[in-house]
Amino acid sequence: MAGSDTTSMIDALLISLQLSTIATLILLLLALPLAYILAFTSFVGRTALEVVVALPLVLPPTVLGYYLLLLIAPDSLVGRLWQTLFDSSLAFSFSGMVLASVLYSLPFAVQPLQQAFRAIPKHWLELGKVQAMTRQQVLRHIVLPASKGGMLVAVALSFAHTMGEFGVVLMVGGSIPGETKVASIALFEMVEMQQQSEASMLALILMAIAFTLLSLVYSINRKTGMMT
Amino acid sequence: MKHDFHLSYDIGALHLDVQAAFNDEIIVISGENGAGKSTLLRCLAGLESATGTIHINQRCWLDSSTGLNVATEQRGMGFVWPAAVALPWLTVEQNILLGAKHDDDKNVHTLCENFALHHLLGRRASMLSTGEAQRLALVRAMVGKPNLLLLDEPFSAQAPHVRRRFRAQLKTWQTQHNIPIIMVSHDAEDATSLAQQHWQMCEGQLKVKNNDDTNAF
Repeated sequence: MAGSDTTSMIDALLISLQLSTIATLILLLLALPLAYILAFTSFVGRTALEVVVALPLVLPPTVLGYYLLLLIAPDSLVGRLWQTLFDSSLAFSFSGMVLASVLYSLPFAVQPLQQAFRAIPKHWLELGKVQAMTRQQVLRHIVLPASKGGMLVAVALSFAHTMGEFGVVLMVGGSIPGETKVASIALFEMVEMQQQSEASMLALILMAIAFTLLSLVYSINRKTGMMT
Repeated sequence: MKHDFHLSYDIGALHLDVQAAFNDEIIVISGENGAGKSTLLRCLAGLESATGTIHINQRCWLDSSTGLNVATEQRGMGFVWPAAVALPWLTVEQNILLGAKHDDDKNVHTLCENFALHHLLGRRASMLSTGEAQRLALVRAMVGKPNLLLLDEPFSAQAPHVRRRFRAQLKTWQTQHNIPIIMVSHDAEDATSLAQQHWQMCEGQLKVKNNDDTNAF
């Protein structure tokens, strides 16, 4: 394996890890209130919101990527706003990939949390009312500790799913070496260029990461009884 | 002080229609399973949306005719569920002091001592036996001197030989603080040793159970 190939593989892996970490953190912040609303409140349009959140599960990644490209294109409203604020293009950039990853992995963060919130015993939530706890106290002392397992599953699945993205990041980020070329795209290009040993090595690393994260998810599920 | 309620509530096939008045005393409710005893407690606590009226300590908690329905959080009552409810990740002390209730340390300490929890204060609730968790739930409901104490089978998990002791503690506390207590129990001794009023519940209806067992509300 040539030195430059190794460097480009490490670069692609680091971009993937960086993208997954940032997207997962944003997803957690976004998914917590969203899952809370979906689990505990009833309002007109709740089903529609649930469908929108779950859409990336069934939508071809290229479809989501296509619409995102239209949304963030340099001549679009969002694209122009971004250009004015940050003096750079959102399309074919790392920031654009973060946006795409957050949208694409949203159900993997929201659904485990929603499931964990719904599994909280009714009496624990009633205890909050009887003890005259504020909404913040209920969230801090009851809802979040009771959903710790769901939160870990959400983090692990969001991270693993973002690591494995291909279609959306290719559409929105392109494949700019050292900037938007993630590990899954690098693997595809290695196979195209018949770089067998590099492709095997990268595939093995991605497989190990996915295996470790899924093992974590299943062991949490077994402990908390979530999805058994 | 006088308290009263008149409640109506439908749950499945059961139609609850109950009316009662009581003083600062201990009332024990008994009756068959499914008669509506626990549902009545939940309605009084505001955990079920019943219609009717509730007046406790000269304060109206519920008046369906005017749309008034004081939230559970603002009723200032204590509640003990039939299955002991304790948050397993908190210690006994943290569970007892959960929420916005205030009480002086001495009172909490005395209650914990009286209900044999003082040596467990630092222990996680997940490590408690069912009986200990049940006493924790009882003490938590008593802390803060509630306006009304609603107890659903509060001694069911206690060993028979200690039940008498805890009954006596509850009675002493009630006498000291003049707080009305409504307790659901299947244990006849709860009624004979604690109750100043004994209500019998049958298919959603309430009856006072006197010696002749005939006096209905």
